[in-house]
Amino acid sequence: MKKRILGLAALFYLLVSSISLHRRQMELPRNFPKPYHNLEENPITKQGFDLGKTLFYDPILSSDGSISCGSCHQQWAGFTNEGHTGSHGVNSQVGLRNALPLFNLVFYDTFFWDGGVHNLDLTPLNAIENPEELNESLENILTKLNNSAYYKKRFFDLYKVEKITSEEFLKSLTQFLASMISANSRYDKYVRGEGVVLNSEEIAGMALVKKKCTPCHGGELFTDGSYRNAGVENSFRFDRGRESITLKEEDRGKYRVPTLRNLDYTSPYMHDGSMETLEEVLKHYNSEMEDQQTLDPLFKVRPSKPGLTLSDEDMHNILMFLKTLNDPEFINDRRFSED
Amino acid sequence: MEKLVCILLLNSIIAFGQKPGRVDLEFVHKFENELISFDTTYFNDHNEDLRFSTINYFVSNISLIRSDGTEYIYPQDSSYFLVKHSKMDDQRQFSLNDIPPGEYIKLKFVIGVDSLRNTMSIEHRKGALDMGGEGKGMYWIWNSGYIFFKLEGISSLAPERGKNKFSYHIGGYGGYKTRTINSIRTVELPLLKFKIHALETSKMTVSVDLERFFKGDFNLRISETPNIMWGNVSEKVADNYVKAFAIQ
Repeated sequence: MKKRILGLAALFYLLVSSISLHRRQMELPRNFPKPYHNLEENPITKQGFDLGKTLFYDPILSSDGSISCGSCHQQWAGFTNEGHTGSHGVNSQVGLRNALPLFNLVFYDTFFWDGGVHNLDLTPLNAIENPEELNESLENILTKLNNSAYYKKRFFDLYKVEKITSEEFLKSLTQFLASMISANSRYDKYVRGEGVVLNSEEIAGMALVKKKCTPCHGGELFTDGSYRNAGVENSFRFDRGRESITLKEEDRGKYRVPTLRNLDYTSPYMHDGSMETLEEVLKHYNSEMEDQQTLDPLFKVRPSKPGLTLSDEDMHNILMFLKTLNDPEFINDRRFSED
Repeated sequence: MEKLVCILLLNSIIAFGQKPGRVDLEFVHKFENELISFDTTYFNDHNEDLRFSTINYFVSNISLIRSDGTEYIYPQDSSYFLVKHSKMDDQRQFSLNDIPPGEYIKLKFVIGVDSLRNTMSIEHRKGALDMGGEGKGMYWIWNSGYIFFKLEGISSLAPERGKNKFSYHIGGYGGYKTRTINSIRTVELPLLKFKIHALETSKMTVSVDLERFFKGDFNLRISETPNIMWGNVSEKVADNYVKAFAIQ
């Protein structure tokens, strides 16, 4: 009898430890929604993550070997391109749009400012093949990787393949990208009851964000994943936003609603990087937006002029709250840094 | 014992009766009734001169309909084929294996790639669907999705600045979150009591008349529209070319 109980206990222990081992590979924050990305199909392993990280930081992915993914997605800048309005490509070209931050990607179902890509595996291709960014073809990258004894060995060790194909290449990058979770801000610890207290200004700011910035910046991701026109000055001569995907005039000037997380690191702001400080952004939302045809109706609070109706105190409190959404643990997490 | 042998024998007879056959499916490209040559100049319905350089398109989701109306669906995962035809490439024939024997009256397939496959992870994009391999050049990166039909060539009516090149990239699977253009077209071609026999290979030839690309409900004029990449006109061109396919 005793033996049997011991046996059961051992079995139970094994079960629990195997579950927790699995969990440890990919910890999903308790306060976050369910991920869209299918983590079971391409489960994250240490080896896969490491290979993805090597690729992320390797300029072999660009046409002239000058830049890597990490060149425009810098960890200290919340994986955006610090100080750049448009991201910086080969031959010192500057793109039209501001590099989006890379974190919490598994919780999104569409990607980029215009939502043109809808599977995480395919996102790197957009930057790789853009002539203003890495300016390289997938086919050519695979040739380069297959000509490299170093990569051939690493891919063989992981996938047991003699020839590296799109599948192994993109799956590895996905493993790295999917692992980038930022969920340890003061706000997160506060809502999860992990011993963090917010002060009265921050609490007031939080209430204001819930009241004035929701639904667009709602939920724990602080974006509802929709595409909206936020009235940023735009001639629409070079960039029509989501219209270029849907081919509908009603989508002219609409862009992804970005997250409010880690804003301290991700300046400049807006799709074109036209605003350097959060004060400017708030001022814009309050009183300086351009009334465009497709401007989001939620901004039409008063008949005279679009914009949110925030007092100076409101704006101060919102700024205080936004700071609680910074996650220095993520920004300094060595696991994601270039070795 | 005798009984057992009998059963085994019977089983093997039944099994033999069910042994599948094979279909070699070939696509031939024509202009009106003439087989295409890449060095020949043709004239479309609008009297525009043209020479072809690339004729690529996806054929997917193949099925065969039996005389009794039931449908044999070719295994979905293996049902993606890319026809590639240029001076460099000549990939126009595919083998459909393990087809149940019988009499078939209709061949059905999609020109393009279904919407579900267009949104899948890289694991489900092998063979023709591998944009870094066989399917290279048949995929839009910035606006994720396959190019279903790529027709390119030269015409004196295409802009000189673009080296007189006309270039039609037709695609669009209907959109993921918001409805966008949908150029997925299904072709149904009647067969004359097409028999597939066990363990035998039958040959099926589909001819594609490229003249139809330019005419139909929509008149595609090279002089007016020398390039199509991602535009509402794609759907109209797809409506034209769906009628270009016929059993030879």
